[in-house]
Amino acid sequence: MPHRPDSTLQRALARSAAAALAGLTFWLGGPALASPADVQRITSAEVVLADGERFPEGATPVPVGLPDDWAVNHPRHDGTAWYRVRFAVPDPIQRGDLLALYVARVCSNFEVFLNGRRIHSGGRMEDPATRNCHYPQLVTLPGGLLLSSANVLDLRVHGRAEQRVAARERAGGLSELRIGPYADLAALHQRELFWNVGAVQAANLALAVLGMLMVGLNRLNRRDPSLTYFGLASLAWAGLSAYLWWRDIPLDDATVEFIVCTALTPILALAVQFLLSHAQVRSRLLEAALLAQCVVLPMSLLLAGPARLFLLASAWYVVLAGEAIAAMGLCLRIVWRDRRGAFWPLAAVLAAAAAVLLAELAVQRRWIAMPDVPLLQLVLPLLLIAVAVRLLVSFGRSLRQAEDHRGLIERRVREVTAEVERNFAQLAELRVEQVTEKERKRIAADLHDDLGAKLLTIVHTSESERISTLAREALEEMRLSVRGLTGKPLKLQDALADWRAETVSRLGQANIEIDWRSPPEDTDELLPARGYVQTTRILREAVSNIIKHSGASHCKVRCAISERQFGINIQDNGRGIPMELDGKLDRGHGMSSMKHRAKQMQGQCLVESGPGYGTVIRLTLPLGPDAPASAPR
Amino acid sequence: MSNILLLEDLPEIRAWLKVLIKQVFPNAVISEAARVHDALEMITAVKFDLALVDLGLPDGSGVDVVAALRESQPEAQSVVVTIHDDDDHLFPALQAGAFGYVLKEQPREQIAEQLNRMSQGEPPLSPSIARKVIKYFAEQAKPHPKDNIPHVSLTDRENEVLLRVAKGYTLPEIGVQLNLSRHTIADYVKQIYRKLNVSSRAEAALEAQRLGLFGRSR
Repeated sequence: MPHRPDSTLQRALARSAAAALAGLTFWLGGPALASPADVQRITSAEVVLADGERFPEGATPVPVGLPDDWAVNHPRHDGTAWYRVRFAVPDPIQRGDLLALYVARVCSNFEVFLNGRRIHSGGRMEDPATRNCHYPQLVTLPGGLLLSSANVLDLRVHGRAEQRVAARERAGGLSELRIGPYADLAALHQRELFWNVGAVQAANLALAVLGMLMVGLNRLNRRDPSLTYFGLASLAWAGLSAYLWWRDIPLDDATVEFIVCTALTPILALAVQFLLSHAQVRSRLLEAALLAQCVVLPMSLLLAGPARLFLLASAWYVVLAGEAIAAMGLCLRIVWRDRRGAFWPLAAVLAAAAAVLLAELAVQRRWIAMPDVPLLQLVLPLLLIAVAVRLLVSFGRSLRQAEDHRGLIERRVREVTAEVERNFAQLAELRVEQVTEKERKRIAADLHDDLGAKLLTIVHTSESERISTLAREALEEMRLSVRGLTGKPLKLQDALADWRAETVSRLGQANIEIDWRSPPEDTDELLPARGYVQTTRILREAVSNIIKHSGASHCKVRCAISERQFGINIQDNGRGIPMELDGKLDRGHGMSSMKHRAKQMQGQCLVESGPGYGTVIRLTLPLGPDAPASAPR
Repeated sequence: MSNILLLEDLPEIRAWLKVLIKQVFPNAVISEAARVHDALEMITAVKFDLALVDLGLPDGSGVDVVAALRESQPEAQSVVVTIHDDDDHLFPALQAGAFGYVLKEQPREQIAEQLNRMSQGEPPLSPSIARKVIKYFAEQAKPHPKDNIPHVSLTDRENEVLLRVAKGYTLPEIGVQLNLSRHTIADYVKQIYRKLNVSSRAEAALEAQRLGLFGRSR
């Protein structure tokens, strides 16, 4: 840390606050400073308020203390002043060492003469002069020109009267001088240059980028106008701060000062608008007033003229700062009421901003000494960056919420669509089923009405018993086919009941004793319509055989249901099927058709017969959804 | 059996049935009809004891004739004579008041036997019809909040008979199982048919009222 007589607590505080905010702590850990003993500090000089290419030897120099603030020591002086100091090369420094002059602040510009020879120029010395007010100066003192003692250092300083500038730090003046080893002073210079220019540039560049980002974001998503206000204010502020580091603006001083002062009004208007829209307040009256101010302020400056710029600008600064602080207060009050959670971070940032504004006002009013860093231009961008980051975070959060919400809606839409599709598919399926069912019924009705009627006529009109039997069988076949065509799956339990009733009834009418046993327990097994029909045919055929051919007096039927199949055994005590009959008269017995039908259902129909011990028919059929009988053919 | 209505559209079958009826009921006067329209006209003119009704007729369904006969001559017995043996055709006829059914293609002797039994008050009842009747009455027994149908319900014995028929037992077997006479079992079956008809008619009337057919006259 450099030590200067006017260094104060505020300066130290401001610097450390800025450092903390910027996170630029690395710089604080820089190389240790040269010991003060090596550096000679020059705190007094002789001054001549006159212009000229050389120090005006004829004039009477006036002694003056350094730093020399023109506004205090030479009120209303505007233009050039010559300073002369004398110094001896410090003892510890050898002649071979490089020696340098360090000037913390010279405003606006200066030239350095050592022992009558010009050794340094800060830039243009005529209006518009180069603005070096924020640039600390480092001048190498050439060893060849140095004398062992009584060196004369002349400084030609170009400056502006305070009345003609918009801010105190741009009024003419010269800080104390330091002469010492080049290496030490170069480190000091680099550090001061960083804080005064580099850091400000970096902060404002970052602010400008963020401002552009926010304006761009809000162009894409216009929900929250506060982002645009903030972005524009940030951009404008970053642009305005260019006067601080842009030394050779090609405009005369009066114009630059006018622009700088005038530019503050729109920035303030944007800032106030941001605060209001952040608090979700909108006032047409305020908007109009802010716009009007953007016109009134430059008009008043124009009317007052460049000679009274500082006076008027200072007054306006108070007004603008007051407006800003009032808007902050209003915003905080509303946020406190509506969004308690967001209050404290915002309050901290706004309080810091207000403090900086007040400090700047105090500096301009000379209530406190001018800090050796541009407080407002360094700290305010950092605060704005903090706010911007916070705004971006909440923007991102709401974006994510919107995304989540959209995801939710998309999922709902997908669900509903799927359901609609499912319903539609079901409906279509149902429709197909209905149409199919209708068609089957139509075919069945046609078969009954036409084929059925003809077969029936044959049954009852044929002279031949054989033909009417065949026709009757054909009719039965037809009916079973129709049932297979239209039928729905039947419970196996019900099918067994149907078979039992028919078999018992038929055998009973033929006076054959019947013993039918089916499993007593209920099963939920389903029998496809075709399976029912085929089994009915087989059973019917078997019963017919018993009645017609066996001459049996007793018949035993056993049914068994397992998980995968069911079986029916039909046993009679008749004369059995004679060997010579088996084959020749097979058609009459229908054995082959019974076997064929069982095979069609991937089942089995075994016939065991022998003369004397009757006939056993063992029918086994597969069950379940994989059973082929379930597939319509 | 003196007056018998024979409704059948096929001439050969009608002739054949007529011979059959003459065999079973030698003294009967047989009125023949080939169409629903003719049969309905005859119903208004003649009082019948028995009607043999085919279902699929050129100008409509025999079920209408069964219903009309039940309405105008409750004493007359309707028997459906059909080629359709499935419940979808038979059940509506039974609901309309038919007393039984005969499958046309059966041998002469069998049909004669069935007609005889029916004339003696022993109507047939197949397991699938029995299941359908059970289902129908179970549906009726469910509480209908708005309806005030005078509920026709089956007695426990009737239910018992129905359940056994549904399981595949024949009526004589059930008689043995329940230790009841053949005659008593037949009465139960008749009673079941009657209740099916009464309940169906009440339901039909209610349905008609709901549709507003008789709504105004009330």
